[in-house]
Amino acid sequence: MIALTLLMTFSAVSASAQNKDRRKSFQSWDNYEITTEKVGVDGTKFVKVWGFGKNVDAATMAAKENAVHACIFRGLPGSATAMSTPPICPNPDTLASHEDYFKNFFAPGGPYLAYVSMTTDGVPSGTDRRKVKGGYKVGIYVQVMYDNLKRKLEADGIARKLSSGF
Amino acid sequence: MLKKLTLSAFACFIGLTSFAQAKIQDVVTSDYNRQSISLVVIERGDSYDSATANAVRSFSPSEKYDINPISTKSIKVNKLRSESVSSEETGAAVAKVGFAREILASIFNRTSDGMMDDKTVRYRGNYDAKDQDVINARAARVGEDALGDLGQRLIAGSYIVATDFYKVERSTDKKGKVYWSVNARAFAYRIGLRENGLNDFYEKCWIYEDDDAATRDAKIRAFQALDIPMNLVATSSNSATSSSVESAAYDCLSGLITGLENVIPEWEVAVTIMARKPLRAKIGTKEGLSNGNRYRAYSYTEDDNGNLKSVPRGFLRATEVANNSGMSIGETEPSEFYQVSGLANIEEGWTIKQSNDLRVGVLAGIKTGSMGKLSFAVDVDYLLTVNTGGSMSYAIFSGSFDINQANYTPIFFGLGYGYALHLSRFFELMPYAMLALDHIGFSTTDTSNDRFIRESAFVLEPGVRVAVNVAYPLQVFAKAFADWNPEFIQGSLYKAYNQHVGHKSGFGLQAGLKWTF
Repeated sequence: MIALTLLMTFSAVSASAQNKDRRKSFQSWDNYEITTEKVGVDGTKFVKVWGFGKNVDAATMAAKENAVHACIFRGLPGSATAMSTPPICPNPDTLASHEDYFKNFFAPGGPYLAYVSMTTDGVPSGTDRRKVKGGYKVGIYVQVMYDNLKRKLEADGIARKLSSGF
Repeated sequence: MLKKLTLSAFACFIGLTSFAQAKIQDVVTSDYNRQSISLVVIERGDSYDSATANAVRSFSPSEKYDINPISTKSIKVNKLRSESVSSEETGAAVAKVGFAREILASIFNRTSDGMMDDKTVRYRGNYDAKDQDVINARAARVGEDALGDLGQRLIAGSYIVATDFYKVERSTDKKGKVYWSVNARAFAYRIGLRENGLNDFYEKCWIYEDDDAATRDAKIRAFQALDIPMNLVATSSNSATSSSVESAAYDCLSGLITGLENVIPEWEVAVTIMARKPLRAKIGTKEGLSNGNRYRAYSYTEDDNGNLKSVPRGFLRATEVANNSGMSIGETEPSEFYQVSGLANIEEGWTIKQSNDLRVGVLAGIKTGSMGKLSFAVDVDYLLTVNTGGSMSYAIFSGSFDINQANYTPIFFGLGYGYALHLSRFFELMPYAMLALDHIGFSTTDTSNDRFIRESAFVLEPGVRVAVNVAYPLQVFAKAFADWNPEFIQGSLYKAYNQHVGHKSGFGLQAGLKWTF
């Protein structure tokens, strides 16, 4: 009996801890998946990215934000058909030191939208559209105008130009 | 005792956990690619070989399959046709032929000098490409040329379908007309080739223009020595009766393929809903879609542990079928559907997957009215057409037996047509009309040819049927109808017996349960 009680308590505690970890991970902006699909046409990156939101539209917007965020801060992982891409701003302090700039950049309807286009056919669908606790998780194909984004951040003094070190 | 209880509880816990895990892994996929098949007949070395081979040769599977025209059309199993061949016997016969080699030779258009090309692969890749593939290709530097490469993934979806016909029996009806009944079984074998195997094949067997003679010979030998297995993935059975062995065998084939479709998930078309009101999805004639075909909708959820799970959400039927039998250019015309069950409205982005049915409803219940105070009734309906607004047409067969007058064996049976309207997917209202025969078969000594007609009366029956979904495919139904049974269309014996039975024109009601198969 004691063993059974212990077993059930252990299961409940373990499940609760997992849920807590999961909730926490959704609150962090770094918690998204992104994969490079193929080498994009010149000046662009073609990726599949996931986003989370209260509904499908919000999750789709979050995924677009994530794609631009990855290009700026995380870089894009390589795949069987494409090399990895380093972040535009490799310095981990960039986000903190330019907080106001990025708050405005990533605001709803903000400038970041000019650098990302969804290429998913229609709405996110099939296994790329998942109901999760608290909302939806969607995976979308996007094209990020990587070169234009980089030029914009360089022009605004956020990213360093390659020539600036010489 | 306590120890036993604890152990049992632990075993239950482990059992439930593994059951839950098994359920989670059983996710309905939203991917679908065209599959290719080759039909092969199993010969028994008897006089029926020719007829069954002709039946298989003349059969064309649905447009959703590509056909690999391989050179071997039959395999031989030495066994009497009185029973079916076993999987082991078929497996041994299949293993004797290098089917995988023949499939690859067919797909790569291999010539007698060992040269191959990828024209078929590229064509099939382009033909299979979905709008998303086209959009992806345009977003990538490699461009739309990459669509042809998609054909590589289709090679692993190549199958041999070995068909066996057994228990061929001849029968003759009263008029001397001969009928043949045939039982059939199909064995589907999938090529045991995955991506790595294909790379190996290219490396060892592909002959290039600039290869010298020795290299060519080595590659030809490597091709001849290819040992790629064919793996049994499913079997199905069917039977048919017709006026000849060949036509009975032919009639079995469609059901055999449908039977295989029901057990091979890769053969079931899956696509996502792209729009609502009306429900639309980008499939059509290319996927063998036709009016009334049934699909099942699924949404996807992630559980607390991040495991993906597919949730069934109801059934729908194809209404307007788009002709999409061309290459995709990113703007494929969708087909339309009507949702027939499910508590939730089907949403954009949900997956729908082929879920074949017979389109046959069986209704069992109790009937009361002027043609019998209490009858046991069985109706059968066949769904003819469905349209986007939810109206459906049915062919109806109705039969009932008057329990109160069982001594006179009063049987009522009729054929009719119904046009159903759906006020919602849960509620079907169907006006119908039927021409029926009410037969009272009391006489046992009269052997005259027209006895049946003299013991019967024609009945005209207009009516209305209401059916409500309980848990699809189970419905509750009720019928209200009027039976018109005037004396001038009553047989003489019928009139005599009916004085005791008391069937007459009037109104009636019927209620019961309906199950759609």
